[in-house]
Amino acid sequence: MAKRLLEFRDRTAVVGVGYTPFTKDSGVSTLTLACRAIMAALDDAGLGPGDVEGLATHRVGDSAAPSLVGPALGMADPTWYLDQFGGGSVSHAVVAQAALAVAAGVAETVVCYRAINARSEFRMGGTGRRLPVSPEVQYQAPYGYFAPPQQYAMYANAHMQKYGTKAEHFGRLAVTQRANAVKNPRALMRTPITLDDYLASRWIAEPFRLLDCCLETDGACALVVTTAERARSLRRPPVLISGAAWGGGDSHLSGGRADPTTTAAAALAPRLYAQAGLGPADIDVAELYDCFTYSVIVQLEDYGFCAKGEGGPYVASGATALDGALPVNTHGGFLSEGYVHGINHIAEAVSQLRGDAGDRQVAGAEVALSTAQPGYILPATSALLLRKG
Amino acid sequence: MPDRYGRPPRGVRPTPDRDSKDWWDRLAGHEFTVQRCDTCHTDRFPARAFCPACRTERWHWEAVSPEGTVESWIVNRRPFMPGSTEPYVVVLVRLAAVPGCLIHGGWDGDLEPEYGQAVQGVYADMGDDLALLNWRPAE
Ligand SMILES: [Zn+2]
Repeated sequence: MAKRLLEFRDRTAVVGVGYTPFTKDSGVSTLTLACRAIMAALDDAGLGPGDVEGLATHRVGDSAAPSLVGPALGMADPTWYLDQFGGGSVSHAVVAQAALAVAAGVAETVVCYRAINARSEFRMGGTGRRLPVSPEVQYQAPYGYFAPPQQYAMYANAHMQKYGTKAEHFGRLAVTQRANAVKNPRALMRTPITLDDYLASRWIAEPFRLLDCCLETDGACALVVTTAERARSLRRPPVLISGAAWGGGDSHLSGGRADPTTTAAAALAPRLYAQAGLGPADIDVAELYDCFTYSVIVQLEDYGFCAKGEGGPYVASGATALDGALPVNTHGGFLSEGYVHGINHIAEAVSQLRGDAGDRQVAGAEVALSTAQPGYILPATSALLLRKG
Repeated sequence: MPDRYGRPPRGVRPTPDRDSKDWWDRLAGHEFTVQRCDTCHTDRFPARAFCPACRTERWHWEAVSPEGTVESWIVNRRPFMPGSTEPYVVVLVRLAAVPGCLIHGGWDGDLEPEYGQAVQGVYADMGDDLALLNWRPAE
């Protein structure tokens, strides 16, 4: 454990959250979405664009850069910015890096955002999309394999074969998250579903059905990060960043991580917990990256909430429901709220810790884990531990 | 499971990079190779310049038998690219010759793959200068 990372604990805070509506066709540019979410987050924090010293985002060639967004909001001279290449695996790294910049005094207040038209312009799930640029694609695409639902289905089946994870486990997860979305006015999908609905949904790539897959969404979300000290004088209850961790290593195609049923999160989790001085038992709410049902199940294991291979039965036990031992994806997640590539998990964690999550509020929530894509496809992941200030 | 399988999209050609072009050329000649490190003799796949075990650059192509076991598979039930006929199977194979290495391929079996099933590679010619490697149950 790097000593400086311990010093970083609780030095910074999230003080504002902003969203655009989640839709299937925003009708506007990603630049407009970004500006709207940022203005909403600043308004939530009681700040204005003139208070912002830094901007941070991540993109995969699909959205507006900080260098466009800053001037569009009259921020003529940001002192710090981050334009990270990458998808869901770096969603939490963006906020972590913003927090590092704030803790280092490079910028006192930073806004992190992600803006996508992931349904109407750039379909993340693969439909009509150009092949991703990665050396590993050449070994996959000629066999008709390149899209995230295919890749995650492959890992999910490995887990099913090795540990006996069942379709009903994935289904229970989808049903549970939908029940949370019913209580979330932002959610795109607010009609309850049953296990039978799940089992009857059409095949995408076996073992995945439609209801295993997250929603391709148009929308944006933004977060305001500043020092813990400044946070105390702002209008919202501060949410402290207690831990932030990056993880990586080899991919499943390079011999270094030869078990496709375990993710980079398994290596990251002990570092994250040590940094924050917390463990799985301390966590009241977990917002776990749910591009697909299976990714939650493998993370429940890799973040230490249950034994390896037990993620499916853990979900089936009801533990991840709002009234369970570990409420997971309280907003409905990417499966039912919408998919803004990771940042809306952090925003929901902030809501839960502030106590303003309305009908889906977890009583007494004080510590939340929020995680990025756990390191399949490309070997990188990131996560945040947040604490009520 | 369906009674019979369709085929993946035709015409999606690999785009070799500067590390992998020789590998594809050899595969087109029905030779399956991995990189063997000249320093520590560790095998690796896919192609890249440095040996991750000893961090040296000297290596050679080593022909190995395309054999392995089924690690996982999917049955594609919707078109992800133009030109496929669904359902088609993509299989993830653990290579016998290279511990810890996984490879994707098409499925050349009549029945659904099974976890841990022994499989062998089948070269599928896609024209004069390209072959793909599919997999079928070992005899
Ligand atoms: Zn070596």
